Amino acid sequence: MNIRNLFVTAFRSLAKNKMRSALTSLGIIIGVASVIMMVGIGNSARVAVRDKVYTYGANAMSIDSDRPFTEKDLERLRRTTSYIRYITPMIGGRVVNIKYENRFIASRIRGVNNDFFRIQEWPATYGRYFTELEILSYEKVAILGDSARLALFGNASPIGRIILVNNVPFQVIGSLSELGQAFSGRDQDNVIIIPYTTAGLKIEGRRDFNEIYASTYSEDLVGKTADEIRRSLRAERSIPAGQQDGFTVKTSKEKLEMAEYISKTLAILLAGIASISLIVGGIGIMNIMLVSVSERTREIGIRMAIGARKRDILLQFLIEAVTLSAAGGIVGITLGIIIYLVITIAVGWPFLFSVFSIAISFIFSGAVGVFFGYYPARKASSLKPIDALRYE
Amino acid sequence: MKNVIEVRNLVKTYFLSDEVSVQAIRGISMSVEKGEFLAIMGASGSGKSTFMNILGFLDSLTGGSYLLDGVEQASLDDDRKAEIRNSKIGFVFQGFNLLSRTSALENVELPMIYRGGARPSEVRRKARELLAMVGLSGREDHHPNRLSGGEQQRVAIARSLINDPAIILADEPTGNLDTRNTAEIMGIFSRLNRELGITIILVTHEPEVADYTGRRIVFRDGLIVQDVQFRKSPRRGVK
Ligand SMILES: Nc1ncnc2c1ncn2[C@@H]1O[C@H](COP(=O)(O)OP(=O)(O)O)[C@@H](O)[C@H]1O
Ligand SMILES: [Mg+2]
Repeated sequence: MNIRNLFVTAFRSLAKNKMRSALTSLGIIIGVASVIMMVGIGNSARVAVRDKVYTYGANAMSIDSDRPFTEKDLERLRRTTSYIRYITPMIGGRVVNIKYENRFIASRIRGVNNDFFRIQEWPATYGRYFTELEILSYEKVAILGDSARLALFGNASPIGRIILVNNVPFQVIGSLSELGQAFSGRDQDNVIIIPYTTAGLKIEGRRDFNEIYASTYSEDLVGKTADEIRRSLRAERSIPAGQQDGFTVKTSKEKLEMAEYISKTLAILLAGIASISLIVGGIGIMNIMLVSVSERTREIGIRMAIGARKRDILLQFLIEAVTLSAAGGIVGITLGIIIYLVITIAVGWPFLFSVFSIAISFIFSGAVGVFFGYYPARKASSLKPIDALRYE
Repeated sequence: MKNVIEVRNLVKTYFLSDEVSVQAIRGISMSVEKGEFLAIMGASGSGKSTFMNILGFLDSLTGGSYLLDGVEQASLDDDRKAEIRNSKIGFVFQGFNLLSRTSALENVELPMIYRGGARPSEVRRKARELLAMVGLSGREDHHPNRLSGGEQQRVAIARSLINDPAIILADEPTGNLDTRNTAEIMGIFSRLNRELGITIILVTHEPEVADYTGRRIVFRDGLIVQDVQFRKSPRRGVK
């Protein structure tokens, strides 16, 4: 019996019980659809995180400390390390009320120096960055993120306008290009950026700060520089060996690794869930194939009487099981891709079409058919011709 | 003349449980020559079907020996037995045993497909020819449930012939048929025996059916009680 005939036979007998076949494949459909969906979402999430981390700057790092930094710390870090290219205080993150004419928005404020824009590789679309003089003389000047600008000024030019930040008047000198949503969903463009000196004096009411952003000349210097910073700060603060830092240096790379670790763990977890549903689907197939074998015992007897060998019968039922599970696999793949596509559109992540995961899912669903179809097929093929023929 | 079938002290016992067993055949010896046409008769339960199933490699024997073309049945493995059922023997049953939801043509093709090695077009052509031979041209696409008993049995005969068997075993082939269909079916068997020299063994209750043959064997309680050859079997075109 050749393969074509076997498949025709399998399709026919499955078509006889359309409803039953469909319900039997459901387990596989759900299993495969979730594999496709999860793998896709995992990949998209990873890419999305990587994109976000790189907008923060691949060479960047942040230093957080409970004990505040002063401007002297910045200079010392520049001196005692070899590869810091840009370094800026980072003040705030505090939410402020901004008013322009009759428009109000709530926005996040940051006090920085001009290095900030270079670390983040964040170009201005209107106006300019700060001048040294503005920083030194606590000028009340502001640069707006794209969505803050849009909310306050629409399509009009913001340059030179006076806005009220918590009732303190500031002059807008520039605005920045759009960064988009952060991975957390926060709008990164709803910010107002002012000189760190001004932020300390007018907003925070203190001159020191708890966070520093820095970047190196290249990505491979990040780790080394982070170590140098750690050593320098420990020495400066005379922290004895064995005692905790009291500050943390976080690099983009570490953030990226963390994100990848989380998405990998998630993927493993979800793969586990998916394989359970594949197993349940496989058991469903086995069950229905056993029913089918006993329903069709006479048919098996007739086939044996006219010369079907054991392996012909075995193959017939095995192919039927594989057809069932592979068809479930195809439907599941299609369904999974559709759901995945809808989710990526809704969340705004990239849609990554993975031929590999589709191939793997398809092969896997076929394998489930072989594995769970073998026992019933074996049972069918080991019937004695006369017993099968006499079966009522 | 060479014997196609040679049975010696054949015994078949069905073991129903540890204590209960039924001896369906209690020591039969007989032989059948190539090209013979013979009828097996006897009361119901006398072991005729059991004997036919053993001859047809559908069932195993408990004791004695059965040689087909000089080869001992017990020495063959399952695949060889399947091949013999496929190509050497054609079986025709009382209940037709066609695959339902499968067209007449496809039913006839099936043994040839199982045998393999033939092109689909060749299989199709031969199946059509055989259906035409049994008078069913134009019914190729009919499914068994749309055919009368006589027509179904003719499909079954066509199916039994597709691999050019040397022997046809027919267990009460006319048992479910009326007189007219019985006459037609028996006409076909006679022709196959006469023109193609196929050895035919058939089981029947009806003397009129047995009259088509050349030899009558009567079974009683698992034994042969009568074996008469009343007509020389035709020899023309011996296979
Ligand atoms: N599968 C079986 N299991 C147990 N007993 C059987 C089986 N098949 C046939 N028999 C018994 O064997 C005897 C012969 O049966 P069978 O060959 O069918 O007779 P016939 O075809 O002549 O009517 C009967 O007593 C019957 O009950
Ligand atoms: Mg009988």
